Amino acid sequence: MPRVTEDVAIVGIGETPVGRLPGMSSVEIQAQAVLAALADAGFALSDLDGIINLDPYATPNSMFSTTLSEYLGVRPRFSTTIDVGGTVTGMTMLQQAAWAIESGFCTVAACVYGENTLTGRADNTQGLHMQNLLGGEEWEEPFGCQAMVIPYALVAQRYFDLYGAGPDDLGAVAVTTRAHALLNDNAQMRKPITLADHHASRPISSPLRLLDCSLISDGGGAVILVSGTAARKRGLRGVRIRSMAMRTTHNSAAVMPDISGFGMAEAARDAFASAGVAVSDIDVAQLHDAFTISVLVTLDALGFCPPGEAGAYVRSGATSLGGRCPVNTHGGLLSQAHVGGMLHIVEAVRQLRGAAGRRQVPDARLAAVSGNGGVFSVCGVMVLEQERAA
Amino acid sequence: MTAAQEDPDWAGLRAVLPRATAASRPFWDGCRRGELLLSHCNVCGHVFYYPRRHCPSCAALDPGWKRSTGRGQVFSFTVVAVSFHGSGWESQLPYTVVLVDLDDGPRMMSRLIGPGRESVASGDRVEVVFPEIDGQRLPFFRKSG
Ligand SMILES: [Zn+2]
Repeated sequence: MPRVTEDVAIVGIGETPVGRLPGMSSVEIQAQAVLAALADAGFALSDLDGIINLDPYATPNSMFSTTLSEYLGVRPRFSTTIDVGGTVTGMTMLQQAAWAIESGFCTVAACVYGENTLTGRADNTQGLHMQNLLGGEEWEEPFGCQAMVIPYALVAQRYFDLYGAGPDDLGAVAVTTRAHALLNDNAQMRKPITLADHHASRPISSPLRLLDCSLISDGGGAVILVSGTAARKRGLRGVRIRSMAMRTTHNSAAVMPDISGFGMAEAARDAFASAGVAVSDIDVAQLHDAFTISVLVTLDALGFCPPGEAGAYVRSGATSLGGRCPVNTHGGLLSQAHVGGMLHIVEAVRQLRGAAGRRQVPDARLAAVSGNGGVFSVCGVMVLEQERAA
Repeated sequence: MTAAQEDPDWAGLRAVLPRATAASRPFWDGCRRGELLLSHCNVCGHVFYYPRRHCPSCAALDPGWKRSTGRGQVFSFTVVAVSFHGSGWESQLPYTVVLVDLDDGPRMMSRLIGPGRESVASGDRVEVVFPEIDGQRLPFFRKSG
């Protein structure tokens, strides 16, 4: 069973404003997130000797961790850019940081993602182009599969057919997530929505409608990890990574397995076993929500409910604030901003610190974070825990 | 970017054409002849889609080809209502993307054209057709019986 070292802690979180950030480049956004996280941790820029980031999807670059290091003004001993896929990349960055710190390659590492996806795209009349996202251009694009929503729509239709699920199940996720975003001052979406609003929203790719889709956002998020020794020396009590597990099963939607063949359930089983916890121990969960269907599939896979019953589980209020295990308390990719899952991690840490303000989950001790890249092509689950006083 | 007029269902079809590799070229050449070719491992017998230079089941190199019956059933589908290629693509709307489970084994992504393409259901029987778009024949599907 994969184990994450217990002697590394998340001690800083940073989040830029989200939405439209005209005039800001991707490297500027990432630098702002890192500086915010360093300040939060109480470390100086000169303390930073590890940089791990993700290249912007909308404006691809090469050598982006090197670019960010120069722009920040640091000379890191460990630097790398990672792109495992979508919202798994964030936790993969944390994995690399933990290994780098544990093995002495660096002592203070920043993991960061951010870009100007909304204002910086070459052509705002199109969705985010799929090239370099799913990789299977030869076997997807000729058939009209040209945007991320189409593969997820195929998953949603399959979910409907398998379980007799329907639009009310998708809509419950949209409405619940929006209600959480209204408690987050740094969220793109400011208006409440109803199930009727969801059902009346514009059809995009059946059965998915506009309110089933995540946002396109400018923005960034970062976390700072240090060794336990470094944290103790400064009297910091950080958030520990109790476990992390991933599974890659495919990439292109053209060769997508059935929902039971996605890697999320295996990743969850490994992550919970490695941490020695059960899903019933999780107090708060930040789950991949690029589309509403993602949340249903993930709730099933993590074992919050029996397969196919995620819609009823969400409607029961279990994933709402005040419910059994609130999900996407910050408003998620659906209603806060789509910053590649980094803000899921930032929010998990914030909840475990007890610093989430109006949307705080009382006594949150254990958090689960899930991510997926492609169309459930690579799935990841991690368990985070606040360090207690010695 | 319009289909040849040999079948009224094909009129006005547009597509982003594939960029073949040397390894996938025989697949696209097969479409030109009206044949749907699946990769077939000479060592373990695995039949797979899409074509690769090795068998993903046993790693044997240089798999051969096997002609598919071109028949199968819909595994999942989506009716796409918006253009992701600007206004020039709006003539295609709505169009239907399908995942087809071929009777020969593999699952493939394709586009459903012809009558009933917007009222499709999972499990519907479909068969391959090869409309010509800009000189390239693409393996689309239509509903069958
Ligand atoms: Zn073989």
